[in-house]
Amino acid sequence: MTPEFRLKRRRHKILLYFVQHPQDNPANIMVHLSSLLLKKYHGGYVVIRLALAGHKQANRPFYRIVAAYNKRARDGKYIEQLGSYDPLPNIYNEKLVSFNFDRIKYWIGCGAHPTKPVAKLLGLAGFFPLHPMMITEAERRRAQTELTATGAEDGLQEGQNVA
Amino acid sequence: MFQVIGGRSIQVARLLVPRSAVLVEAVRGRKSRTDPVAKSKEGRIKVPPPVDPVEMVVLKERFTEYQMMMRALRLEFKEEVLRKKYEEETGSLAEERARQEATEHRTLMAFNNQENLRMLKLRILRIQKEKEEAERKKVEAAIQCEQEQQESIKEKERDILKLQEEAKNFITLENLDQRIEEALDNPKNYNFAIDKEGRVVKQTMLQ
Repeated sequence: MTPEFRLKRRRHKILLYFVQHPQDNPANIMVHLSSLLLKKYHGGYVVIRLALAGHKQANRPFYRIVAAYNKRARDGKYIEQLGSYDPLPNIYNEKLVSFNFDRIKYWIGCGAHPTKPVAKLLGLAGFFPLHPMMITEAERRRAQTELTATGAEDGLQEGQNVA
Repeated sequence: MFQVIGGRSIQVARLLVPRSAVLVEAVRGRKSRTDPVAKSKEGRIKVPPPVDPVEMVVLKERFTEYQMMMRALRLEFKEEVLRKKYEEETGSLAEERARQEATEHRTLMAFNNQENLRMLKLRILRIQKEKEEAERKKVEAAIQCEQEQQESIKEKERDILKLQEEAKNFITLENLDQRIEEALDNPKNYNFAIDKEGRVVKQTMLQ
């Protein structure tokens, strides 16, 4: 049985909607009253992640920074939108990102987990510390460019020496 | 292993250099674990990407730092959220609001009670009036009833008297012969003629 088939089967079973407040926080701090028809997930938690928006246009991605349950589909029903991210640069060569810091603070205080790209974006924004992987990637790329630069220089020098 | 896709799908691994003109995807899980390995992958040993120990040490340090900072931030935000909630429920503003609401409630309750009293008085008056009306109507109805009874009794008496008077003209066994002779002696003619102007003619052909 392939994993996709198993997921589809499970989706058909969960069709009960409890009209009660969900206890989503691991710390069980507070109960949010955004909607009474929220699904109750066993052991589920809230994540802050990027969800793809605007599916009517191909080859034009646009992400929404969203607080949603872990088990929900990537583009499915979310709890609250906390910002947006446009991965394609605009005419001034900028990639636009927006955050609702107040609500992000609230959700992280309630026990939400941000995903890696969201953590990286927030690190670039200065709200979080810089992600270590970003720093290592930058260092690796810099080493690579230096290698190619020195390699080109050596090649030029050799060419000059030979010539 | 590869499938041709037309639209978009979740697990698309786009090939960097598509030799074919059509976009192909690698679908996970087409083969089960009992299927034999492909010929091109027979001697393949999967090797994880190489790790630079110096970089790894530096990375581990950076990660511990990062996680510590993240934990601290999380606790800070938690505290802020709790403080806000506390302020909302038991802060100074909340107390003022509660006091105001209590006073408002008291005034509204007083107003409500006054209205109730007023309505009560009006209701009592109304009920009294209705009762008097009902009494009056009952008395009137009783009088009417009595009157009707009296009238019916009088009617019946009149009928009896009339009948008694008519009884004098009845045909009995003693008058029978007399009456027959009288009837035979006086033939009555009920025929008459009338024209459009209304002139009545009682003279007809006597039989």
